[in-house]
Amino acid sequence: MTHPKVRRSRLWLLLAVLVVALAAIAAGCGGDDSAEPAPAEPAPAEPAPAEPAPAEPAPAEPAPAEPAPAEPAPAEPAPAEPAPAESGAASGEPIKLAILSDCEGAFAAFYEWDIGGAQAAFAKYAGGVPKGENPSDGMDGIVLGGRPVEIVGYGCSNDTADKAIEEMRRLVEQLGAQIVIGPLSGDEGIAVANYAKEHPEIVVLNGTSGAQDTTLKVRAPNFFRFNSDGAQWSAGIGDYAYNVLGWRTAAVVGDDYSFPYTTNAGFIAEFCAAGGQISARVWPPLGETDYSSWVSQIPDDVDGVYVGVGGSGTVPFFEAYASLKGDPDPAKITGNLFISDPTFLGAYGKNLIGSVSSGPTAGDANTPEAIEYNKTIDETYPSIAGSGPSVFTYNYYNAAWALTVAMESIGGDVGEGNANLLTALSETVVPGAYGEIKLDENRQAITDNYVVQIVEDSTGDGVPDVKTVRRIPAVDQSFGGTFTPDTPAPDRDNPTCEPRDLPWIGNAEEVDYSSGATDTAATESTG
Amino acid sequence: MTLQQAQAQIGRYAGRALVGAAGIFAVLWVIALADNAAYKDPKLFLTIGLNAISLAAIYFVVASGFTLIFGLMRIVNMAHGSFFLLGGYFAFHTATSGWGSWGLGILVAALGVAAIGLIQQQVFLRWNQGQDLRQALITIAISIILADQMLAHFGGTTKNLDWPPQLDFRVNFHVFGLIYPFTRIFVILCALAIGTMLFLWLRRTRTGMVIRAGVDDRAMVSALGINIQLVFAMTFMIGSALAAFGGVLGGTLGGLSPGVDNQFLLNSLIVVIIGGMGSLGGAAIGALLYGFVDAFSDIYLPQGYSNYSVLLTFGLLVFVLAVRPFGLFGRAA
Amino acid sequence: MRLRLTPSRIAVGVVLLVAVILCAIGPYIFSDFFVRSILTKTMWLGIAASSLIFLAGFAGMVSLGQAAIYSIAGFVMGNLVAADGGVDTALSPWVGVILGLLASTVIGLVFGAVAARSAGIYFLMITLAFSVLNFYFWGASTDLSGFGGINNIATPGLIGSAGRDPTRLFYVAFIVSILVYLFLRYLIRTPFGITLQGIRDEPTRMRALGYNVPLHRVLAFTIAAFIAGIAGILFIWQNANRIDPNSVNLSATIDVLVVAVVGGLFRVEGAWLGAFVYTVLETYSKNWDLINERFNTVIGAVFLVIVLLSPGGLLGIWDSVRGAARRLGRGAAPATEPGPAGGGGPGAT
Repeated sequence: MTHPKVRRSRLWLLLAVLVVALAAIAAGCGGDDSAEPAPAEPAPAEPAPAEPAPAEPAPAEPAPAEPAPAEPAPAEPAPAEPAPAESGAASGEPIKLAILSDCEGAFAAFYEWDIGGAQAAFAKYAGGVPKGENPSDGMDGIVLGGRPVEIVGYGCSNDTADKAIEEMRRLVEQLGAQIVIGPLSGDEGIAVANYAKEHPEIVVLNGTSGAQDTTLKVRAPNFFRFNSDGAQWSAGIGDYAYNVLGWRTAAVVGDDYSFPYTTNAGFIAEFCAAGGQISARVWPPLGETDYSSWVSQIPDDVDGVYVGVGGSGTVPFFEAYASLKGDPDPAKITGNLFISDPTFLGAYGKNLIGSVSSGPTAGDANTPEAIEYNKTIDETYPSIAGSGPSVFTYNYYNAAWALTVAMESIGGDVGEGNANLLTALSETVVPGAYGEIKLDENRQAITDNYVVQIVEDSTGDGVPDVKTVRRIPAVDQSFGGTFTPDTPAPDRDNPTCEPRDLPWIGNAEEVDYSSGATDTAATESTG
Repeated sequence: MTLQQAQAQIGRYAGRALVGAAGIFAVLWVIALADNAAYKDPKLFLTIGLNAISLAAIYFVVASGFTLIFGLMRIVNMAHGSFFLLGGYFAFHTATSGWGSWGLGILVAALGVAAIGLIQQQVFLRWNQGQDLRQALITIAISIILADQMLAHFGGTTKNLDWPPQLDFRVNFHVFGLIYPFTRIFVILCALAIGTMLFLWLRRTRTGMVIRAGVDDRAMVSALGINIQLVFAMTFMIGSALAAFGGVLGGTLGGLSPGVDNQFLLNSLIVVIIGGMGSLGGAAIGALLYGFVDAFSDIYLPQGYSNYSVLLTFGLLVFVLAVRPFGLFGRAA
Repeated sequence: MRLRLTPSRIAVGVVLLVAVILCAIGPYIFSDFFVRSILTKTMWLGIAASSLIFLAGFAGMVSLGQAAIYSIAGFVMGNLVAADGGVDTALSPWVGVILGLLASTVIGLVFGAVAARSAGIYFLMITLAFSVLNFYFWGASTDLSGFGGINNIATPGLIGSAGRDPTRLFYVAFIVSILVYLFLRYLIRTPFGITLQGIRDEPTRMRALGYNVPLHRVLAFTIAAFIAGIAGILFIWQNANRIDPNSVNLSATIDVLVVAVVGGLFRVEGAWLGAFVYTVLETYSKNWDLINERFNTVIGAVFLVIVLLSPGGLLGIWDSVRGAARRLGRGAAPATEPGPAGGGGPGAT
């Protein structure tokens, strides 16, 4: 133990150093905030974003000069509304809204995309005016169905359910949010849906979380999900593997937690429905650093392998695969959206040219809806330009859009206990950029899904591109009765492999967007 | 021999017998009893064996820095995992910057992290010498800050470092059809080289002599007029650089993302708890034991139980501590 | 020990009393949000930290295993009562509580028997390894939890739905906190407690005096495990009746240490002070633009400053001020601080 007196003088010196260091850190943070939203990397562990090619690389307007408000955007004074007597809804008192996303943890990079997606919809359809160049700077002037809306806060979770609950409490109970858009990831979604169930006075529109249980099992009457779940994101691949690639047996591999269980369950349900057999299910623990031991559990005689290993594991998994089984044959490998993720494509895609994967957006789509949507994103928030095809931006956008549509239809009168709003939301149909979205009786989206193929690089950046090859119309959550509130949730052994009738098998549309006029500038440039 | 001594003897031998029996059973299980036992599938066995050694190699590289710092200074550097990740990020940004390469990345990572380690040691740790718990708390605080700042600057998504193409090929051993990636063999070679260099440095050079003397009696070394502070600073830099080098190897093999820092802090802890703090040989043995348990339990545990491999790691730890509370080659502080 | 009423003791007493009264009437003067997210969290986090303070400050065992221990109580309870996830045994919630506490205590005893043979920095490392392995264990055991965790864990009728009305849970946590505090204060004054403090300062001498040092350490760890288990049960109820491995990941593990160090490692009441400061910082810094997303940097910096400047934490600062005042008052004669409150920290050798 040093003598206290000897230490004292050093302590003050140290304190000074610390203060300086802290100031530097704070300054560094300030600097980061402005730099951050430049969407460095797409591609995380969970819902992989950004197939390539936002329809346009957003040239045109140097600044979002005109957010093209649908309405003249009354700043604050409440527009006088024909108030229905009993609810007092249209009193002009603003509706308090919050957006919940992740600013820490694995998905922190998508914080601005999420908020930007939601607010771009408000800018386009509800007169919102961005307060600054970053989405999280805030938005003014939003009017929904004649009622002003105030964004009271942004939830900053970290990919854990505990934090999502803490943030929900802060947004709802401290800041008084009545409507929340969010959260981002699967376990957060389940926790937030349970929270919503306990708080019937609020309305939650899911951000982009994709756990199946959130709507299938929890079924909170005030929780709405206008995006497909993890299993729906796999729709189309099982059919393609059986009927196009000719697989009869397959092995599935995935990280040992709920998101890969769910995406792989979508593949299993569809592949087995078509008549295939699953020979092995291999579940390496999350965060495994060495996959070779797991690769050796894949039988040598299967026709193909469905890979749901995500996050840090995808590349090491394939390297281990190559070292044990030889270079992968693209016709024998498919996977969930992890393998069409730009980061992965850059690192390993050249070895998998021709492999297919699936997801809810078609980045190369050149339909008028898709072009308009991407233009809206790029013009409202140049700082997140190009993120349109990412599921993060797209799903938050649709949630906000759905809210706008529903509020318009009831003229801003949410009714006693939000009754009008709940009814209106469950009837809302959103003409989404990548397919119409309507809800089932569990308030879960029924919408299109896309099969995409990894193709040779055509943009010159050395990263293979992704081309949309099939559209699977109106995929619903149940997969023809495979998933019901009473069936076990997807896990290591479920669902079992059974032949079934899936409404969309045989109905998939072949699509080819490459013939269109649009230039497929890949989003890889952002990554 | 008193009754108590006899009891203690029996207790000690019973413990060792139990550990021995468990070890023998594990080997038997792998060789003959499991469904995919070694005699049925020798290629698998050899592959997993090489996996285990290459895993152990990375564990050793990282843990050797940890144990070196502890051995001389009694500092448990809880920021070692952060240094690992930081080294990986430095190398990643060097290698992908256009003018850089993987090899240059190693250099930048090692130098950069050594500098940060030096700052940490000089500014925060030096004047707390001898207060090992307080120093551990300081490094915990620094690791919290570093982790958050790395998240801010490098993002939360996974970064994959690519091997240099010259290394990225597979070797055919012509034994049971075993084909193995050279990169993993390269990792083993790196660990061997580092182990040898550290050994020679500690045994054959004057600095090494001072360090070994310092491990035994710091006060005496200082009294002899040797500038032990200089040796401390140098050791801390080398220990940090080893973490960074491990980060480059580990990041190339398994990717870099937040959380990997904790994983490798844990790995280092397990290695040195098994091997004994401050002992280089202990780190090597600890890394090998841990690597083998880790790699083999994934594949040789009965189907359906393979996810409990973490329990085996824990069992290994408990076994070692039950027999030797300060690790195989450790001694009481 | 004879109690002398000095002005500073009176001051401490008054501050404590005011804090207790404020808490007691908390639900009537604060918002539900404050009661649920700040006060109730302060209570369970304080209990968890108090178990660490007891170990670190009075037995010289700085443990990073307290979060793991409380998670064991939580996971065991979650598996035994009706819930979504886990084995969903659907026993009565009170049985779940008792078995959860029992499990954490037994694991504390068994793990303590292994870990408590080592000391000081080794003990810190072993408990840290235990914590992280505990995290991976629950993640890998998909039958018991998995990374998705256990949701909607049934609560006893006494607690009711804390999500709708936080008052009852708060009072339960508050009363339990007071009991834990009184228990620990009592315990450190018993012969057992005095022996522990002797072992903390002079293990060799205590052994020479014939005390069974490892046994005392193991017992201390077991008692601390029981207290941490209480925190685990309350944590679940406060955390919207759910738990998953990420509830006790490495950062949660370290949070308990941060809370204890910030509050002050040498006084039991420091646990709740640290918990309160931590919770308030964590909750409200989000509303402060400068910090917002970089909360952990701030916490790390606060932790660093306290470790560097005041080993006794915030309460240690109070002690220094008091000491300075006393020296001023009495002129010279710098009375040595009673106990370990001054100086170099538990690791000073």
